[in-house]
Amino acid sequence: MARLIADKRTLRVELAGERIRAASGSMVAVEGDVEFKHSGMGGGGGMRAALKRAVAGESISLMDCAGSGRVYLAKDALDVMVVDLAGDTLTAESDHILAHTDGLRLDVMFSGLRGVTSGQGLATTTVSGHGQIALVSDGPVMALEVSPGSDLVVDPDAYVGSRGALQMSLVSGVSWKSVVGEGTGEPFSLRFIGHGLVLVQSAER
Amino acid sequence: MTMPATTWTAATLPVDDNVNPYVFSIALNSPWFMSKGAMLAYYGDVRFEAVTAYASMQAWVAARFSSPIYVQDWVIAEGHGRLLIGDRGYDLNSYDLDAGNLTIKAGNLLAFETGLELKQSIVPGFVTLLGTGRFIASSNGPVIFVEPPFRADPEALLGWADCPSPSVHHDAAWMAASIAGALQGAFGRASGEERQYDFTGQGTVLLQSSEIAREDPAVLRLVEAQTQLLTNSQAGSLGQRLIARAQQQ
Amino acid sequence: MPLEAVNGKVVRARVAPQAPVLARRGSMLGYSGQVTFRPVHGQGQGVGGFVGAAMSGESNPMMATEGAGEVLYGYRGLYATVLELDGTAPLVCEADRLLVHDAHLQTSVQFLGSGGVRSAVRGAFTGQGLFTTNVHGRGAVAVLSHGGAFPLQVSGGTIGVDPQAYVGHVGQLSVDLAAKVGFRDAVGRGSGEAIQLKISGHGTVYVQASEKKF
Repeated sequence: MARLIADKRTLRVELAGERIRAASGSMVAVEGDVEFKHSGMGGGGGMRAALKRAVAGESISLMDCAGSGRVYLAKDALDVMVVDLAGDTLTAESDHILAHTDGLRLDVMFSGLRGVTSGQGLATTTVSGHGQIALVSDGPVMALEVSPGSDLVVDPDAYVGSRGALQMSLVSGVSWKSVVGEGTGEPFSLRFIGHGLVLVQSAER
Repeated sequence: MTMPATTWTAATLPVDDNVNPYVFSIALNSPWFMSKGAMLAYYGDVRFEAVTAYASMQAWVAARFSSPIYVQDWVIAEGHGRLLIGDRGYDLNSYDLDAGNLTIKAGNLLAFETGLELKQSIVPGFVTLLGTGRFIASSNGPVIFVEPPFRADPEALLGWADCPSPSVHHDAAWMAASIAGALQGAFGRASGEERQYDFTGQGTVLLQSSEIAREDPAVLRLVEAQTQLLTNSQAGSLGQRLIARAQQQ
Repeated sequence: MPLEAVNGKVVRARVAPQAPVLARRGSMLGYSGQVTFRPVHGQGQGVGGFVGAAMSGESNPMMATEGAGEVLYGYRGLYATVLELDGTAPLVCEADRLLVHDAHLQTSVQFLGSGGVRSAVRGAFTGQGLFTTNVHGRGAVAVLSHGGAFPLQVSGGTIGVDPQAYVGHVGQLSVDLAAKVGFRDAVGRGSGEAIQLKISGHGTVYVQASEKKF
């Protein structure tokens, strides 16, 4: 069984004849006999991309890593975290996905977002099945709990992913009258209500 | 699902303390001044108001925030809740002042309590906090505290407390060894080793790893304001040199 | 020990009259004591060093720190790894990764790999030209990386390293460039891993967790 092991900013992948998928170009070192092959695009463009009016539905490029040996994966010296899924579902921004084992499915989920006037839905990525997924983040990830009566507001640039029954809407951070003519600070943020966990990274770049 | 990340709720988040080296949790009960863009997330009823809008309603704001060139980059956070702040993944530290003063690089100051007063330092790009209260500042890597006598590279200098403002020291050996360096030293910056801030007396100097210079809108305002010292013909020749520099890049 | 890590990004050097250090220009963060800084042009001694100075020009300008005192070095928030060389094998790394080292260590410049087109390709890919620097002798050296450098031991086998993630190596190792996949794959929508450094022998390879050059 292929294993993903997070070691600070590096993901170590132990392969014994299996295959995993990883973000293209993320290999930094390899020992043993491992083949890398382009395996298409996966995931959605993410909330951030849509909010920044990047191309909607844009996805990440993935590669297959197959064989026997040890692969070291990393991305821009970002922190690495491995989540084990046992039949449940995780939502993640696609640019935070570093690698996942074979038993997981990545789907693009389009979700309407209350507060967005453009009428354009947001594409995000859901990960489901049995297996491991490695996420990258700028600094450690905090899992912030949302429950009825305890809403959470998050800067879109700090948002990594979420799980649970959550609803999302946009709020403007600084009231509009004060933002106009003063450049942007937090022009809008994401408000989560419901029941679940929101993953937030330590930087807002 | 096993989640290796630490789970927090509004009730378990630290009270005015670090969540990890890069994130600080403010237990908001009274207003704080906050740098725009520092907010990562919050629980509760939290509102952000531009300092300019607020100052017109509350006279004390203008008295506390006496740094007009920075006013556009700051907001006031008020309400009740837990507010998480961060800055580019930099290390965050909180500092308590008790009728004291500390001068810090303006771009690294993230938030301060309204018991403190903010003033522009005489050293360009730095601000001084005076009074009693807490503030949060970021650094590229952990802060290194040293005692004078000490000479610091201007780009690595994060701030200083309780000691006299620095003077500028030019490295004579460097100047002698590099004619090109001496020429560049007259206008702009060669590599940093020819010019340092010299600290003497009692106090503490705060250092960080040097960083890639980032565009600070306040610096433009500051330099522009200083050009009033020039005569018209001087201003004209400076303008031509600046145009030549912009065209080179 | 003349070099000491203050934290992941800053190195402290104790400079003494008989023990100056060489450092990357622009990397001095601050100092106490009586020390002076002097730009040095080119690096290393002998023919290799001369070639290096001529070829690398001012791309990696260094400076000498002399006198007596303590000096802090760091560069643009990059991580710095302090390595102790025992003199049995040189450290091979790209010249612009050298933050600071004992001045009595010798540096020379060489072709990496078997030379010719292959190392030319490698140079082009890392944006580094054709040369790498060899650091010889016994002493301490601090090497820059994006996010930190982690060691991988090679004991008789071969490991593949992304050229952009390669920081340096110490030991009896040979480095070869392998373009395993056809160039069509490398240019088009390839896996991004078409070109690797194949490093084999006995020694330690230092790799950074990033493909970013600084």
